[in-house]
Amino acid sequence: MLAKDQDAKLLSGGMTLIPTLKQRLASPSQLIDISRIAELRGIAVKGEHLEIGAAMQHAEVARSNDVKQKIPALAYLASQIGDPQVRNRGTIGGSVANNDPVADYPGAALGLGATIKTTQREIAADDFFKGVFETALKADEIVTGISFPVPKRAAYAKFPHPVSGYSMTGSFVADNGNGVRVAITGAGQGVFRWKEAEVALGRNFSLAALKGLAMPSRGLSNDLHATAEYRANLVEVMTRRAVASLTGGK
Amino acid sequence: MSAAFKGRREDRRLVTGAGRYTADWNQSGQLYAAFLRSDRAHAEIVSIDTKAASAHPGVAGIFTAEDTKAAGLVFPPPFLPFPGKGGQPIKVPAHGILASGRVRYVGEEIAMVVAATAAAAQDAVEKIEIEYQDLPAVSDVEDALKPGAAQIHAEIPGNVSLVYEYGNEAKVNEAMAKAAHVTRIKLYSARLVSNPMEPKGCLAVYDAAKDVWDFWSSTQGITMMSGSLATHGIAPEKARIHAQDVGGGFGTRGGAYPEYLVVMLAAKKLGKPVKWVATRSETFVSDHHGRAIRLSGALALDKEGNFLAFRLDWTCDLGAYPAGAGPFINTITPMLTPTGVYKTPAVYGLHHLVVTNTTPIAPYRGAGRPDGAYLIERLVDEAAREMKIDRLELRRRNFIAKDAFPYETPTMVPYDSGDYATLLEKALQKTDWAGFEKRRAESKSRGKLRGIGLASFIEPAGAALAPKDQTLLKFGSSGNLVLHSVTGPTGQGHETVMPEIVGRELGVDPELITLSTGDPDGPPLIGGGTAGSRSMSSHGAASLMAAREVIKKGLELAAKDLEVAVADIEFKDGKYSVKGTDKSIGIIQLAKKQSSTAGSHPMDAGGEVPAAGTFPSGVHVAEVEIDPDTGVTSVLRYLTMDDCGTVINHTLLEGQMHGGIMQGAGQVFGEECQYDRASGQLLTGSFMDYYMPRAGLIRDLQVYDHPVPSPTNPLGVKGAGEAGTTGSLPTFMNAVVDALRPIGIHHIDMPITPSKMWHAIRAAAK
Repeated sequence: MLAKDQDAKLLSGGMTLIPTLKQRLASPSQLIDISRIAELRGIAVKGEHLEIGAAMQHAEVARSNDVKQKIPALAYLASQIGDPQVRNRGTIGGSVANNDPVADYPGAALGLGATIKTTQREIAADDFFKGVFETALKADEIVTGISFPVPKRAAYAKFPHPVSGYSMTGSFVADNGNGVRVAITGAGQGVFRWKEAEVALGRNFSLAALKGLAMPSRGLSNDLHATAEYRANLVEVMTRRAVASLTGGK
Repeated sequence: MSAAFKGRREDRRLVTGAGRYTADWNQSGQLYAAFLRSDRAHAEIVSIDTKAASAHPGVAGIFTAEDTKAAGLVFPPPFLPFPGKGGQPIKVPAHGILASGRVRYVGEEIAMVVAATAAAAQDAVEKIEIEYQDLPAVSDVEDALKPGAAQIHAEIPGNVSLVYEYGNEAKVNEAMAKAAHVTRIKLYSARLVSNPMEPKGCLAVYDAAKDVWDFWSSTQGITMMSGSLATHGIAPEKARIHAQDVGGGFGTRGGAYPEYLVVMLAAKKLGKPVKWVATRSETFVSDHHGRAIRLSGALALDKEGNFLAFRLDWTCDLGAYPAGAGPFINTITPMLTPTGVYKTPAVYGLHHLVVTNTTPIAPYRGAGRPDGAYLIERLVDEAAREMKIDRLELRRRNFIAKDAFPYETPTMVPYDSGDYATLLEKALQKTDWAGFEKRRAESKSRGKLRGIGLASFIEPAGAALAPKDQTLLKFGSSGNLVLHSVTGPTGQGHETVMPEIVGRELGVDPELITLSTGDPDGPPLIGGGTAGSRSMSSHGAASLMAAREVIKKGLELAAKDLEVAVADIEFKDGKYSVKGTDKSIGIIQLAKKQSSTAGSHPMDAGGEVPAAGTFPSGVHVAEVEIDPDTGVTSVLRYLTMDDCGTVINHTLLEGQMHGGIMQGAGQVFGEECQYDRASGQLLTGSFMDYYMPRAGLIRDLQVYDHPVPSPTNPLGVKGAGEAGTTGSLPTFMNAVVDALRPIGIHHIDMPITPSKMWHAIRAAAK
C-alpha cells in the first residue's frame, strides 16, 4: 500500500500524526494502521540483547519485567514520556522513526548503541538518526523493532521542558564494559553523542571525570524557553546526574 | 463554620460527564460556523474574494463586515463610566464586529463561513482569498509609545487611549522631597492567556415569528451576556440566554465575543440553527488576554520607616481595541486599594492605557488586583532591605489598625473592616517563620538556595455590576424550593452553597433547595454575574434576604393554621411555634398546605441587597528552594491566612484559594504570552509554547481563615475568588527574591523560567 501510494501515511500511536492532522498541516490520502500487526509486538530477551517490537507502547515498555531487569534505565525513560494518555498510545517504533529532537527514545537507542530493525534491513543507531525529524528510513521502509544490547550499567537523566514536558535536555549514559556512550536529546538539532564525556568516562567512570568538561553551546537550540548556553549547562548537569545515579554520587 | 461537608452537589453531574457545556447543546438541522482570522498583526485589507469559498460543497453562507454593518451590529465602546486625567474621555476607535479596511492583530475576525459541517466550513474558510498590504506593527507598549511609532487608530493619536490619575500629585512630590528614604521599583506583569478548559462558542436559533433568538453559550451570568449583547445591538428581550455549565470563566466568559453576534446574524439570515465552537488555537489568539502591565512605583518613608507616600505608574497594554472592562480594571480597580493595608497619607497614581497590535485585554482572575498587590508588596520588601528594617517590623509599623475602620484611603475609598496585624502574627506562627534560617542553612548544605516570603495584601471585591442584586425563592409542589439567581456559577460550588445559606436560615435541609441560574424562562431579576469576587456578597446575601422574606410571609399563614395571633408566633429551627406552648408547624409542612395558583405560591419571596464593596485581605507565606544548577524553583510550602469575612463553607472557600493561588503560580513560574516584537506574530500560540501550571507544582498548600465580618452585607462575607491570585504573585516573588538575596540579587521578573533563573544566578556569580 505504502509503495503504491506516496501520500499514504503509517499510523501507529498517532502521537505526532494526529495533532498534525488536527492542525490541518497534513492531509494524507490514506492512513495505514500498523499498531496491531503481531510481528511488531512483543518484548524478548535474546542472549545479551533486549528486543522490543516497534508497536509496543511506552507504558508496556515501562512496566515490562524484562526491560526493568535487563535495562532499568530504558524502563525509566519510557515511564517519563508524556503523560499516561500518551504512554498508553505512543509507541517506541513511532518515536524512533519520527526522530523528534526532543523525544526521549532516540537517546536510549543511540546511547545503548541499539540496532533498528526494519522491513528491509538492520540499521545501527549511529547511522539511523540524521538530524531534525530525519532518519535513514526510506519511504516504504517500516521500523519493525529495536534491539538493545544489554549494558553493564546505564542511566537516563531528563530535564523535562517546563511547558511541553518533552525533553529539554536528556542525557543517556551507558557503560557497556569496554566503553561508554553518552547520548543527548532535546538540547540540539537531533540526538547526538557527547564524545568528550564518553572518552572521559571511559577512562574513569565517575563524577570526577566530568569535572571541567564543558559542553559548547554552539549549535544547540536557542528559543523562547531556553538559551543555548542554558541547554549546554543542562547537558553537563544531566550527564552528571546520570553518572551520579550509577556511582552513588561519586 | 459549616457542618460536615458532604461534597458539592454539582460534582456528580460534572465528574460523570453529564455536565452541559456549549459544545454539548445541539439543534436538529444545525449548521456550523468557522472564522477567517487575520494571519498578520497590522495590514490594510485590499480585497476579499469569497467566490471560491461560496462554491465549496456544503457552504450555506459567508458573512463579512458588510453584512454585520448592514445588520446594525457594532463593536461597543469599553465599559468606563468616568473620564481620565483633565476630564478627557477615553479615546475609542470606530470599529465593526468583523474587520473592515484594516486588521490590527493576529487572530482578528474577518469573515465567517457557515456550512453543513464544521469541516466543510473550515475548508471553505481556507478558500477565501484575501489580499493584504502590510503595515508596520507594534506589539509592545514601549514601541507603541515611541515617537514615529505605527499609529493603530486615527482616533487614538500616539496610541494612548486614556491617561488616568488618582490621588494628589503635589502632596506626593512634597513627601518624596522630605522623605528620609525613597524606594523605587520597576516590575512587569506579563500578558497572559486565560485558557479556560472550555473554548468559547455558541449556538443560536432564530424564531422569525417572534423575532427572538434562543442562544446557548457558557457565561459568567445571563444578565452579563444579555447586557453585552445589548451593547452590540441586540436588545435583551430579543435574546433568550441558555446557560448551564461553564468550563472556566476567569473574566474571559463575561460577555459576548464578536463571533457570537455573527453566529446570531447567520441564524437569522439562513433560518437555521448555527453552532460554533472555537478551537484551542483560536482560544489562544482571540479570547481576550489578561494583565500585560508595566509597573513602576516609589515608596517614601521617614527615618523610622513610617510610610509617607506611594507613587504608582502603570503602563497598561489594551491590545488593539479598548474592549469590555479592559480599561476599567486598569484604572478604578487599582485606585480602590492604592496603599495596600498600610496607613499612608499620600498617594498618586498615573496610568497610561496604550493600544498595540495584539489581542484585546480584558479581566483575568484578579483583574488589576494582583498587579497592584505585587507592586506594593515588592516595594515594601525592598524598602525594608534598603532601610535595614526587618520586613515584618516594617509592616507592623505601618498596618492600618483594626479599630480604624471604616478606614478611608487617600483616594477616599472606605475599607470595610480588617485586622491585618493579627493576620500576620497568625500566619507567622503557622509557618514557623522564626525557624527559617535553620532551614535555609540546611538547604545551603545541599547546594540549594532557600527563601521565605510573604505578602500582606488587600483587594477590592464585590464589583458593582448592577445597582442591586435580586434572588427569588419559589416553592414547588412537593415542598421543595427553587432559588432563582442570575449569578453564573463557573466552578465555585454555587449549587451547593447558595442552598446552604437558604437552608440554614429556613432551618430545613438544603437538599430541598435547588439553584437555578441559566433559565431564560426564569423570573426577570436584576443583578450582575460572577465577576470581581462578588457572588457571595451579592447573590449569597440576597438569598439570605429572600429566605428571611419567606419566613415573614409564613408568619401570618402559620398564625392562621395554628389559630393564634401573629404576635404569638415565633420562628426557630425551621418551625413556627406558638410562644410558650409545644404547638408548632414546620415551614415546609406549612408551605405544602398552601395551594399554588398560576405558578405562584403564597410563600414565594424575593430578596435583594444593594451593591456594596468588600475588602478581603490576607497574609500569604511561601517557602521556595532554587536549584542553582538547573535554575528550577520548587515550592516547598504555601500557607494562607485570609480574611474573606464570615466563612459560609470553608471547603469551597479553600477551593477558590487553591485555584487562585495556582493561577498566580502559573504567572510566577512560566506563563507569558509573547509576540514577535517586529512582526507582531504570536509566538506562544499552543500548549507546546505556552506554560500552564500543573497540579504537582504546589504540594503543600494550607488555607486558614481569620474572618473579620464585613458590615456591608447581611452575610458579613467578603470576596474570595481572586484573593488567591492577588496574594500569590507578591508572596512567591518575595520568597524567590529572598532566596536570591544572599547571592546579591534583589530583583528578577516573572515568569521565573529555569533558563532565566539560571542566567540570573550565573550573572550574579561573575
